[in-house]
Amino acid sequence: MVNVTVDPLTRIEGHLRLSTEVSEAGVITDAQTSGVLFRGFERFLQNQDPRDAALLVQRICGVCPTSHSLAAAGALDQLFGVADTIPKDALVARNINQGLNTLASHATHIYVLWGPDLANPAYRDVLTPLGDTGSAVWNELVGRFAPISYKLDGQPVPPGSSYLGAIPEKKRLQEAIAVIGGKMPHQVTSFPGGYTYKPTFADITKISSYYLQVMDFVSKYTLRVPFETWIENTYKASSPAKAVNFVLEHLRGLVDKSVVSNNFSREAGWGDAEFYTAFGSELVGETLLGLPASLKHDRHGGYSDPSKIAFLAYGAFYKPEAGDGYDPRSPEGARFQTSGVVTGNLEYQKFNPDLITESVAHAFYEGGELHPSKGETNPFTNPDDIRYDGGSDSRYSWIKAPRYGGIPAEVGPLARMLAMKEPLTTGLALAFKENGYSPANTYTRTIARIQELAIIANELVKWVTVDLDPNGKYAVHTDLSMAKDSEGMGLWEAPRGALGHWISTDSNSKVVTYQPVVPSTWNMSPRDGAGVPGPLEQALIGSKINAVENAAGVEYSNPVNILHIGRSYDPCIACAVHTIDLSGKNAPRTLKLV
Amino acid sequence: MNTGKKNLVRTLESMDFLKMDRRTFLKAVGAVGATAFLGTYKTDIVSALEFAETKVVWLHGAECTGCSESLLNGGNPDIVQAISKLNVNLAYHETLLAQQGIFVDGKAANTSELNSEILVDELIEEGNYILVVEGAIANGPDGSGRYCVIGNRTFKELFAKAAKNANAILAVGTCAAYGGINCADSAVEEITDFRGVAFKKENGDKGMLQELGIHKPVINIPGCPAHPDWMLLTLGAVILGKIRIPEDLDSVLDSYGRPKVFFPPDHTVHENCPRRGYYDRGEFDTEISGDKCLWKLGCKAPYAHADCGMRKWNSGISMCTQAGSPCIACVEPGFPDSARPFYIEAEDKGILLGANIDTVSKVAVGAAALAAGVHAVRRMKGDE
Repeated sequence: MVNVTVDPLTRIEGHLRLSTEVSEAGVITDAQTSGVLFRGFERFLQNQDPRDAALLVQRICGVCPTSHSLAAAGALDQLFGVADTIPKDALVARNINQGLNTLASHATHIYVLWGPDLANPAYRDVLTPLGDTGSAVWNELVGRFAPISYKLDGQPVPPGSSYLGAIPEKKRLQEAIAVIGGKMPHQVTSFPGGYTYKPTFADITKISSYYLQVMDFVSKYTLRVPFETWIENTYKASSPAKAVNFVLEHLRGLVDKSVVSNNFSREAGWGDAEFYTAFGSELVGETLLGLPASLKHDRHGGYSDPSKIAFLAYGAFYKPEAGDGYDPRSPEGARFQTSGVVTGNLEYQKFNPDLITESVAHAFYEGGELHPSKGETNPFTNPDDIRYDGGSDSRYSWIKAPRYGGIPAEVGPLARMLAMKEPLTTGLALAFKENGYSPANTYTRTIARIQELAIIANELVKWVTVDLDPNGKYAVHTDLSMAKDSEGMGLWEAPRGALGHWISTDSNSKVVTYQPVVPSTWNMSPRDGAGVPGPLEQALIGSKINAVENAAGVEYSNPVNILHIGRSYDPCIACAVHTIDLSGKNAPRTLKLV
Repeated sequence: MNTGKKNLVRTLESMDFLKMDRRTFLKAVGAVGATAFLGTYKTDIVSALEFAETKVVWLHGAECTGCSESLLNGGNPDIVQAISKLNVNLAYHETLLAQQGIFVDGKAANTSELNSEILVDELIEEGNYILVVEGAIANGPDGSGRYCVIGNRTFKELFAKAAKNANAILAVGTCAAYGGINCADSAVEEITDFRGVAFKKENGDKGMLQELGIHKPVINIPGCPAHPDWMLLTLGAVILGKIRIPEDLDSVLDSYGRPKVFFPPDHTVHENCPRRGYYDRGEFDTEISGDKCLWKLGCKAPYAHADCGMRKWNSGISMCTQAGSPCIACVEPGFPDSARPFYIEAEDKGILLGANIDTVSKVAVGAAALAAGVHAVRRMKGDE
């Protein structure tokens, strides 16, 4: 057994350590995910004005600040007792702000953070011996996805065309957020009772113009089939099977044209999405399309025991047609992306926020397993106790272990797409399950993110051009006295998954507890009190470490599959590791330096 | 354009604006407009083609990656232009680089082409780089730095190693500059003991460099996040030799280590606020989503030394107060405590940026800010 540790896992937000035990056959037999930073973040909200939370907590994360700010605004809406009266127009403005943030975050993840691994030399070593097709695929991978400052065998490699093309688009999306959110990162418009900015007619034009430019990039680089055709035949397909069949037919057409010429370029119709959808998967690429090779990303990052995993979505994006106000508990069907729980066997359940608990059995805190609103935690203060090499039985992370009904849950685009029964994602998940694969794997996680990008881009047009009303009302009255002895829960979705903020106040309207449970806490959680590994740990265990299922043999020093699996969750560790509660009972807590 | 103005523009073109005194700066801005003025220097950067390679090592401590995100929002120069035109070798950046730390049975494996830990050690060994730090540096618990451990070593240790061999250090964002949000007052702040590079909040004796006994020139570029222009133009000025390090630092930086051109000691966000007209007429919003001055909603713009009002954000599109949200003075060393509570007027707190209002003139809050504050009190008293 060999220990292979990736630390830091770069190209994510924050600092993450993945420690694995690997067999001689190159299969991972044990894994620990560790958040390696402690910030003690929400402590500073204690005894403060609760209204500060919406601006302050978004500083948890510079990649998804809008999400944190809106989860906080949701918790504050309920705290101030105004959630059921928030004007529809404020809800639309929040939707647009979040929608743009999700697009920017997904685009950044796909092209700048996740994509560069496709240019890993391991793929050259596996693909080029396969002849002309293999070489052509490798040339596309490195030509599209290589990052800046990249070298292969000592020779500088220019940045990939898609990589370079995506950077200005990400910037453009941030500028669109600035139109309606003041600035980005750290937009400024979230506030209990509504939205601080009243958009103008000119803003609608500006956002639309940014949007069209971004969609121009999408049609040139990402998706070569017309965007409307794609949406109509996947997202709006009448069944999962029809959505999958449409994609397969589309790809078959491309394969027929390209397989003789070995021309897999964008000019030949292979957008980045088409290219990855075909070549990323063994089942889709090799079995169904008859391609001579694939990256086999569907063979890793799955779950071996469906009883130990669930997919969880809190739901996000208010429904403008429902008018003013919203239900903070996010009941099924109340949001554009619905709340829901899908079991490891793809059975559907209703979401109940009371079933969330957090365990600190393997984290550097003292305490038990409690609901976030009651959570109590003391961080370790003895430097010698903060160790990351003690193995699976030890305490090894600053991330706590949230569980839903006692079970680890994956959150993020895949969970959301399954919860809302999105036809393409659901169809692919079912196809993998029927063919003996895990329905969740590195490939479906990535396809779900690309598909979510398309769906939100599609919905955004309606929010901006139909629902947004510059003559509308953007806030209801709030004052501090309305927040006395109160509680609030904000349930929302960050780009990388379900995000909840819980707050309570005292008789002076000062914050007593503030507790966010964030997406990467779910995905990168360590083991719980029962020793059950977190989602990423489960996804690593059983996977092979090297490219294309160790096709070029076992090489511990370039464990590219560990990188793919880890990054497929879009980890955000600054979010995950801040988790420390603010319990009123012990506040200000006495901390002993041992 | 009249001759006077033409002459001024010509003077500006040959001028080193980072070294310009405040009077000339404001005169110049008034005469040609902020955009033209700032554009002058940008053109200088974009047109400069032949430089020796400058290596940049960018480290992330306790941070949210917001400053790196902001860097990618840069325009003219954008990040790609800056890298190619200024011949910057962004040799290490945890969010962007291809490599990652890889350890096989505890030993760093492979080479610097795939292993970021080997890469960063090689770069530090070679020396001759500009160190950029994003995020605060954990000193706790108990001086061990173990609240942030990356690649089997504390970030404190990595920072010390990288700082020793750096030519100069740029602390980007309020966290790296002063500790920022990591140092906000709380029940655990003493234990986590986060530090900025050369400051802890307003205290210039408690930066991590002082803690480690390392002496290096430092430029602070605060902001939550730092504006991409502030970062790229400062980096550009250093590379172009517009700021000579360390000779020029005393004259171009304020007492908190910030370039005075972006963080003017006698100029605040309030002066160029898009809502300034409402303030002058004494028209104030008391509820959100209005159009008027945000003073009564707690705006701290009169105490924030930055050029946001002229420069604005995300390619000049908007800024906090324009979007109806009070300025929270995120560029100040005491942020966020000095601006809290955000939605209550500063006078009501009796505290101004961590200093008592009576002694405020002693700290580097300029006379203009004080005047603005007093002015506002008078105005509000009359108003009520």
